[in-house]
Formats: sequence, structure tokens, C-alpha cells
Amino acid sequence: MLKVINGGIETLVEDWPGRLGYLGKGMAPSGAFDNVGLGFANLLVGNPAGEAGLEVTGGFFQGEFLTDSVIAVTGTDMKPSINGSPIPMWESVAVKKGDVIAFSHIGEFGFRCYLGIAGGIDLPPYLGSKSTCIFGSYGGFDGRKLQPGDEVKFAAPRGKLKDLVGRKLKKEAIPEYSREWVLRAIPGTNTSPDYATEEGMDYLFSHTFRIQHTSNRSAYRLEELPEGFFARLDGGVGGSHPSNILDHAYAMRGALNICGNTPVLLIADGPTLGGYMCALSVINADLWKVGQGTPGRDFIRFRVCSQDEAVQARLDRKNLFTEDALV
Amino acid sequence: MEKSVNAIIPGLCARVVVNEGDKVSAGQEVAVINCMKTEISVTSEWNGTVKSVLSKEWDELEVGTPMVMLVVDGD
Repeated sequence: MLKVINGGIETLVEDWPGRLGYLGKGMAPSGAFDNVGLGFANLLVGNPAGEAGLEVTGGFFQGEFLTDSVIAVTGTDMKPSINGSPIPMWESVAVKKGDVIAFSHIGEFGFRCYLGIAGGIDLPPYLGSKSTCIFGSYGGFDGRKLQPGDEVKFAAPRGKLKDLVGRKLKKEAIPEYSREWVLRAIPGTNTSPDYATEEGMDYLFSHTFRIQHTSNRSAYRLEELPEGFFARLDGGVGGSHPSNILDHAYAMRGALNICGNTPVLLIADGPTLGGYMCALSVINADLWKVGQGTPGRDFIRFRVCSQDEAVQARLDRKNLFTEDALV
Repeated sequence: MEKSVNAIIPGLCARVVVNEGDKVSAGQEVAVINCMKTEISVTSEWNGTVKSVLSKEWDELEVGTPMVMLVVDGD
């Protein structure tokens, strides 16, 4: 068990792949924003890659362990410490009852870190997932971010704790972090020539977009598109702006909504339908990078990808979380 | 000794809630940052007096950008 001393900026229980199968009811899948970070944290403590862990966004989370356990921290380097002494990242570490874990602010690269706990988090799944949807206030820990005094229970570890200590990720297996995140994407569903101009789509796939500070688990907002992006003068029966169309289902997670002139990446807790065109979809294997994109600081660039490449990348991502990744 | 209270997350300055000459205590909110469509409180680590306010509404902030300068008590 972990007793929360300081919930930090935003600390959530998240698993992967989240709450699938409810888009038709308007429910986002949620799930770990950086599923690769969570996957490695789980691998290091002997859990299945999709087990629930803590997603620490922005930093400053602090908690006291009420039981002995084994943990691993992955993601951005928030200078994690136990009782004031730094602990290594991308490596499993033993903790004792009474130990206090603390995180500082975000590192030079990345925005979220993951705390994997041997056995995972013992919460009843809601509609098949332990993930929190903060905008819907359901799932995870009471449907909200963690607060001081919360007691997060751990499930039974898969193996003896002493055997889970000191598991370390190979250096070459640690994901590469950057301040410019290149996301592979497939054009459409609303693209040129009907909705956007050729030049507009070229711009979309060549420009480096700054992530706006208003980005969160629902949507990552990018800087505005230039004039000449739209092929239409208005949205016809969909509305007065050329980004408007009749309401349609969004390809969650990863659709790039064009909302007015602003491209908005719909991710984790995003909307499942609406009346804005979608110019591209980020492939599932690259969604994790969005979660490490720092609002107000980092940049996103899109690269065209084929469906075959997307499928292969997804299989490759699935195969990351094996014992071969460990030293 | 002078200490600066710094931005803890990138974002926009929503407001600084102290003025020059104000006494502040450790743990007290001195400023607010807008990030992720949420208001995030920036607190002082020290007891002291506000020497100067270094941020204003809409300023873009990085982690570590000084927002308020304090003269810390007891020095």
C-alpha cells in the first residue's frame, strides 16, 4: 500500500490499453498516456506490460509505502528519491515499509513518469479497465487524481520480491526522448482534395508544430494552420467554418481534429465524436510520444506512414516488453 | 539572503498573488500558472518578504523561470 502525502500536479492510476469498446457510448479509452513508459515500468517489476501503475504528470508526487514492495520508475527524469536519496530510473528498486518516495519537477525531456509496482494496483476494473478518465470522473482511484491521504493498495507480486529487485533495462532499450516528437500518421479521413488543399496537407506533414500550454489528457492543441489550408470556403450544412462537417465518429486515439484553424490531437480522454474534420490519424505505436510532449515547450512533427508500416510498428511495440529488453 | 520562487511547470502566468513588501510564509501560494487548462499553485519554500514581482499575467514560463524574489527571514 502507498499512502499519498502530496498528489503532485496530476497523478493518476492508468493501465493499457485502457477502456476499449465503449466509444459508441461516448466513453474515451483513457489509458496510460505513454504506454511504453508504463510497459517498461511493469516489465521491470515482473508485471504484465498493461498492468495499472501510477502516471505522474508534471511532478511533485510524494507518498509513503505502508508495505515492503519493489518499484520501478520510467519516463521523464523527475529526480525520484527514496527518503531523500536518489534512486535509479529504468531499474527495479526494493522499498521498505515507511519509505517515502518523492518526485521533483519534469526533466529536460518528457512530461510524464510512471511508477510501476510489483503486482500492480489493486483496484476493481471499471468496464474492463483500471484507468482513470478524469474528464468523466470514472475509473481508477475514485475517478480522480490522487490526493493527500489516499491509500493505494497493491496486488500480490508475481514472484518473490527479492527476485524482482535489480532488474534493469538495457541502455539501447530505453526510448529516445526529444523536444521535437516525430509522429507517424496516416492521412484522412478528411483530406485533400475535398477538405484540405494539397499545399495544406504538405504543410501539415512538413511543419514543426509547437504544443500549446492548454494541452492535456483530452487533447493536445498545436499552433494554428496558415491560410490556404482549407479546400472549402465554409462547412456547408456542417457549419460556417471550413473545418466544420456533419458530426461523425472520431478515430480515437490519435485523430487530428481541425478545430477552426487549430489542429488538435485527440488522445487518451478525448471526445469520441463531433463536427470537425480530421486530417490525419497518428499510428497507435507512436501515441506514447504524445504523452511525453511537454505543453508550452515541445514540438510535434508528422511523418506520412503506410498502413503496413503502422501494423508492423504496432507489432514491434508489443514485442518491446520481454525479458530480452533487460540486462 | 535572497531567494527566487520559480515556475514549477511550463505554461502561462495566470497571476502573482503577492505584492512587494508582503510577508510570506513557507507553503504559502505566491503565484498561479496555467497549464493543461488547469491552474497550478506555486508556493514559497521559505518565510520572508517579497522584494520584487518578476512575472505578470500571460508571461510564458519555463520550469525554473523566476516569478517572485524574496528576502528570506533570519539572514
